[in-house]
Amino acid sequence: MPGHAAAPQSLPYLPTTVVGSYSVPEWLDRLKTDYYQNRLSKQHLSEICDACIKAALKDQELTGIDVVSDGELRRDNDIDYLLARIPGIQVMSATKAYYYDYYETVVTNALPSHDTIALGLAEDFSFTRAHTDRPIKFSFTGPFSLSRRVRNDAYPNTADLVLALAEVLNAEAHRLAAAGATLMQIDEPFLAGYPDEVSVAIEAINVVTKGVDATWGLHVCYGNRYARPSWEGHYDFLFPAVIDANVDQLILEFARKGYDDLQLIQRFGWDRALGLGVIDVKTEDVETPDLIAARIRRALDVVPPERLIVNPDCGLRHLPADVARAKLKAMVEGTAAVRQELPRDEGAAPAAGGALHSVNGDTHGEMIDEATG
Amino acid sequence: MFVDVRPTSRLRGAKALDVTTSLHPIFQALCEDTLDLSRLRMVCDWVQYRKNFREVIDVRAILPAGATLDGVVGTGATDDDIEVAIDLRRCADVALKDIAHAAIGQYHGSGSEPRVFLESWRPTTQSCIWEFNRLYWQALDLWEEATGQMYESALPGGSSDARNTEAVRELLRDLFAIWDQLAARNALPEELYVIELGVGNGNQAKTFLDEFLIVEAAQDRDYYRRLHYLMCDYSPHVLQLARKAVAAHSGHVSSFVLDATQPTTSLGFLKYKVFLIYVSNVYDNLPADEVARLGGRSYRVETRAYLPAAEARSIASDFSTDLKALPELIHKLLRLGPALLAEALPAHFGKASDAVEFWSRVWTGLRLTERYAPLVGLDLYRIAPSVSGEMLRPLLESGGDIRMHVNNGAVASFVDTLPLLHPYGRLLNHDLFVTDTHRYRTGFLGPGKYEGSVVNWINGPLLQHIGSRKGFDVQYQPFRHRKGTNIVTMTAQVRD
Repeated sequence: MPGHAAAPQSLPYLPTTVVGSYSVPEWLDRLKTDYYQNRLSKQHLSEICDACIKAALKDQELTGIDVVSDGELRRDNDIDYLLARIPGIQVMSATKAYYYDYYETVVTNALPSHDTIALGLAEDFSFTRAHTDRPIKFSFTGPFSLSRRVRNDAYPNTADLVLALAEVLNAEAHRLAAAGATLMQIDEPFLAGYPDEVSVAIEAINVVTKGVDATWGLHVCYGNRYARPSWEGHYDFLFPAVIDANVDQLILEFARKGYDDLQLIQRFGWDRALGLGVIDVKTEDVETPDLIAARIRRALDVVPPERLIVNPDCGLRHLPADVARAKLKAMVEGTAAVRQELPRDEGAAPAAGGALHSVNGDTHGEMIDEATG
Repeated sequence: MFVDVRPTSRLRGAKALDVTTSLHPIFQALCEDTLDLSRLRMVCDWVQYRKNFREVIDVRAILPAGATLDGVVGTGATDDDIEVAIDLRRCADVALKDIAHAAIGQYHGSGSEPRVFLESWRPTTQSCIWEFNRLYWQALDLWEEATGQMYESALPGGSSDARNTEAVRELLRDLFAIWDQLAARNALPEELYVIELGVGNGNQAKTFLDEFLIVEAAQDRDYYRRLHYLMCDYSPHVLQLARKAVAAHSGHVSSFVLDATQPTTSLGFLKYKVFLIYVSNVYDNLPADEVARLGGRSYRVETRAYLPAAEARSIASDFSTDLKALPELIHKLLRLGPALLAEALPAHFGKASDAVEFWSRVWTGLRLTERYAPLVGLDLYRIAPSVSGEMLRPLLESGGDIRMHVNNGAVASFVDTLPLLHPYGRLLNHDLFVTDTHRYRTGFLGPGKYEGSVVNWINGPLLQHIGSRKGFDVQYQPFRHRKGTNIVTMTAQVRD
């Protein structure tokens, strides 16, 4: 019921979810750009985004997605929505030719105390919470990727800036948890381009998650800027460093690149949940449920069902809405087919400690309540 | 009445245009007619193409909102409903007042000599001029044989800029630097792909591959072994010539017959893998619409191909047909090509060269009449299969009246080519690019006839805008390796 927290509900094995962003219609592109060119008021843009988020939630509910997101529809892009709200980060020019463009930003002095910095993500979450009774995943870009878009004139080295940004995000994560967020996802879309810097990225991720009572996901892909990969390669750069990340889920891109990297999960003994990318978000060709099912079965060879989550490779923002819906529907149907093949007690309801469980094994609120009924 | 004189650069100097003398008899003719002069706009161009699709004076309807492609002009309010277009280059030493009366007569449908139309009203991209263009590339060998003129020798300067060795060496040095950088990170793929769209006679490919070996030797690299050069062209004849030109590199060259507007249909397997895509003088030869902003409203230019009565009569007489049968005979030529047409209709064409002569005569006489159709809702207009007309908005609404090319074929090719590029790849394109929308207010930029093909300048700001929306930085600079050329180099590479 709108305005109320979600009622406890059980999630099946192989829960379906999204990575974060949802289809952005061309007219919304235009209106957002109008805002950044001072042709539309902030109030009107906010109301437009409210309506779009409600529609995105409804789309996900109707296609049968188990864990939904706000589609990140309030954001201009993955970086600036956060950076522009952090006191101490200077935006060189606040107008943009296109809303999705990145700002040029610089930090010239150490960031002020993170306790005083509220980024407004908790309010975003609360709006979403009020408009769906499904479990919610709340995603935000991680400190390493944020740092790559800031010219650092303040800290002696990039790692210090990354950690400073991590402190800011940690404070925000506490606010999100206080607002009821129980599943949060850190996105690091730039990490694949800097494979030598994984250790600092993981160190910063552990700062973000520190002391936050929630289930945490880490999403690493090869970029989805303008529906193109920004980098190419393999996930071997993540291992073994990522084992030390205090996260419960690792959400990776597979559908576009193939599933060879699944062997890394086995080889390095990743013992937590895997978010399996089964939808290629860089093509408008809609996968069949059979293809989705085949991809899930392949993953089940290396990950047990209680640790497998089904999701697209990345956000759906560049796909037309009808394509996004069709892909999600195929994902849900393909997943359902595989669930039918699981032993009855597995396919019907997961045991405690399923894919959405916190890494610390604590009773982390809603998701565990839901998972255990 | 609004009078727009576009070739302003020609209004001063020793050979300054005398616009007032040209316009005076045209004004007289207009004043002697019943046209509503308060709703009339007059535009003066300098059509630099010796062979083009224009009359000295054309009178065009500006349709009100609500009119459909083939609909009757309604009574809705518009600021202007007639455009009189004048080619100032051809205004000297002709009976302008008579020509103006004749053009007005054609507009009223009361011309003394009815034109022989080859099609109904349609967007320019769907005009039969593009079938002529296609025929030219498909039957280039017959055209060249008949005219004795090779395509490249007809280019300004007599050769393609693609053969400029210094430009190629510069390109190779950049390419090697990227490969070195990736190799240092162990991120260089085993296969190194380069694509050329529109290979001409293969001289660019030959120059590139020859120079590749020279630069590789100078830099002590081992990239040639991994190189795959893919030559792609619409014309099998051209591709065959190109293959001969690069015979010495045959182990590293593959060739594909493909439509430049949809390269991924053949090359989809190279998505995100190509380091260099080279295009030269292709975009200017692909189907293009034109759009306009007049009095705060957006329009698409619709055209209708025709032969003037005198030319049509002469052609019909020389090829043993009559005026009524002439359009069908022309369309048969476009369907069959000259060789098959001569076989199918020996009574009209004794041999293939006669059919080529017929083709050439029709092409020379071919004209386009125009009108403006309202463009209601830019999103409903498709520039290319995946590109909405919304992309035109910032350009159309940049202020004031403007008429510009959409270059639909070029846009289609551009957006279908970008996905092939490796994250560190680059699209390099030499062509006739307009780099500033203001240029559309001061010059005529096509269509013109170039041998048997159609040529239009390319809307650079539009490609820049579309590229930007797809995450690419698109830059233009004059071709630096030959002085006095109109050729501009476009470079597109991933931003961010």
